[in-house]
Amino acid sequence: MPDPETDNSSATSAPLFEPDEVWVPADVRFFGVDRRTIAPTLAVFALAIVMSVVLPVINAEVPYHDIVKAGDVVELESGVTFVPEAGWGITSGVRAGDAPLSGEYPSTATVEHGALKFRVHTGRFDGDANKLLDQIETTSEALNRGRGVHVTGAQKTIVTDQGKQGATVRVTGPHTGGVIAAFVFDGRGVEAVATGPSDTGQESTAAVFRMIRSISHPGEGKR
Amino acid sequence: MTTLADLDRARDIALDLSGWGRRFSFYQPRNCAFWGYLMLVGIGIFVFISTLAREYDAYGQAIGLAVTSFAIYAALFWWFTQYIDRYAKLPAKLMAVAFLWGGFAATGAMAANANDAILALYAKGFGQVWALNWGAGLAAPFTEETAKGSGLLLLIAMAPRQIRTAFDGFILGAFIGLGFQIVEDISYAMTSAGTQFGANQIGASIATIILRMVSGVAAHILYSAIFCAGLVYLLGRPAEPRKIGRGLVLVATPMLLHGIWDSLASIAGPRALMLVGLLIVVIVLALVIGVRVYKLTVQREREFVRDVMTPEEARNVITEAELGAVAGNRKARKAYRKAGRNRRERKRARYVLNAVYGLADELAAARGADTDRVRFARAEVGRIRAGVPPPPR
Repeated sequence: MPDPETDNSSATSAPLFEPDEVWVPADVRFFGVDRRTIAPTLAVFALAIVMSVVLPVINAEVPYHDIVKAGDVVELESGVTFVPEAGWGITSGVRAGDAPLSGEYPSTATVEHGALKFRVHTGRFDGDANKLLDQIETTSEALNRGRGVHVTGAQKTIVTDQGKQGATVRVTGPHTGGVIAAFVFDGRGVEAVATGPSDTGQESTAAVFRMIRSISHPGEGKR
Repeated sequence: MTTLADLDRARDIALDLSGWGRRFSFYQPRNCAFWGYLMLVGIGIFVFISTLAREYDAYGQAIGLAVTSFAIYAALFWWFTQYIDRYAKLPAKLMAVAFLWGGFAATGAMAANANDAILALYAKGFGQVWALNWGAGLAAPFTEETAKGSGLLLLIAMAPRQIRTAFDGFILGAFIGLGFQIVEDISYAMTSAGTQFGANQIGASIATIILRMVSGVAAHILYSAIFCAGLVYLLGRPAEPRKIGRGLVLVATPMLLHGIWDSLASIAGPRALMLVGLLIVVIVLALVIGVRVYKLTVQREREFVRDVMTPEEARNVITEAELGAVAGNRKARKAYRKAGRNRRERKRARYVLNAVYGLADELAAARGADTDRVRFARAEVGRIRAGVPPPPR
């Protein structure tokens, strides 16, 4: 332990000069840039490119092979089901009886066939099918802001194979057409959206309406 | 016999090694890392603002609630993380830079794109059910932890003389994780707002907001803190010798915790009680590991405080007890405060400790020199210890 009474040395009175980060020693410059900073930056950029470019490109190149077979049924949250058309590809969602380990089916399922896309989403909703369709229109108009698809025409009634009455409306956009259908099963809303090229043939349109009419919910038929 | 000159030399070495007190300049046009940071954070901000602007008309209520709630949450965690960085403090500007990396570059410019692609690839390769069961747990730990951790590489390149210890990595990692957590939570709340077709937005998103707040305690903030401490051990810094084994363990641990966290629903199955039990176990486990890593890394910082303040003790500016308290852990500080005979003395002891920490910061900023600010800070320690009231304002 030093004795402050006898030890007269003291700290320096002025801090040693230190250059700030902007200063780059002459012997580490590469075209004026600090070459020590190149490698870490390139490493991070390589990671960013893998994540944001390479992986999405690989994903876009890999085709789907989950093709719907006759008799397949897709199940969503709370037992909502629909029968996808054979030959279409399941891009999200799972088949009935093939529940995830958590026991909860997802709330959304999508099947695709070429440029045609059919998406079903379910969630809680208080109100009837017309009110749900109004809500879907309001939300999609707010999200699209006049761009993309928009509702054209009046709401129409549609009845499922189970006998449940719902509401539909046509949507159109640049080179795109489609239909939105809404059903409410005892506090559970179901939205089905089909979109595809505006020149989609009669057969595909019929397939879409078959899928919409196949939407069902347990207990609905019993009542 | 150790002389004051020896102690001053030890202090100079500690200040030089630790980088404590050095100012950080963000604008570094001749630093590649600065441009890389700017570009990736810029892309992330653009993506985030575009999403917010696109969805605001539809989910305005939920966005308002989420942004307000998570801003308060972020402020609390910001305070807490700064509070635990009480030894060789990092510049606040550096913490803000870390926060922005986590919030914008690591999310919108990196991990979000990779997560979507990997989940889709899993579904294509192993089926939709497998992807739902294990996809998130086998995608996010790799993409998100590396995206967040890569920010520390840029920060080290931008502030090589400030980021010197594994504890610096721990603190900056926590801020990166905080930024990531807040932006991810806001986007989760927006997704929840749409689950009921845009109706009942508050009801639909409030459960998500509360769950994210509760679970966030032991999520991204902790994972990134551990990961970035490990990254510093892996890389090695002037004040932290390279320890590859320890670094690998610390980098792998948050990935494992993250993977387990994202797979909890699949591990628990349809049993709700099991899920709640596992949630609690994983949160407690993550917190215990976080505290152990904190204790492991903070030791070096305490040594720096001791080296910087020992000459002050030798010059009788501070007492041996005060030195032990400021360079010690929470228990040591508590013992010092409790040593007071009455409430007034215990309260004064707390003020003295704060004044000593203030003196340590001034000494670090002055690189150990005897400046006016340092002399004033020394006088403040003496004034408060003597119970002299501050001069009138």
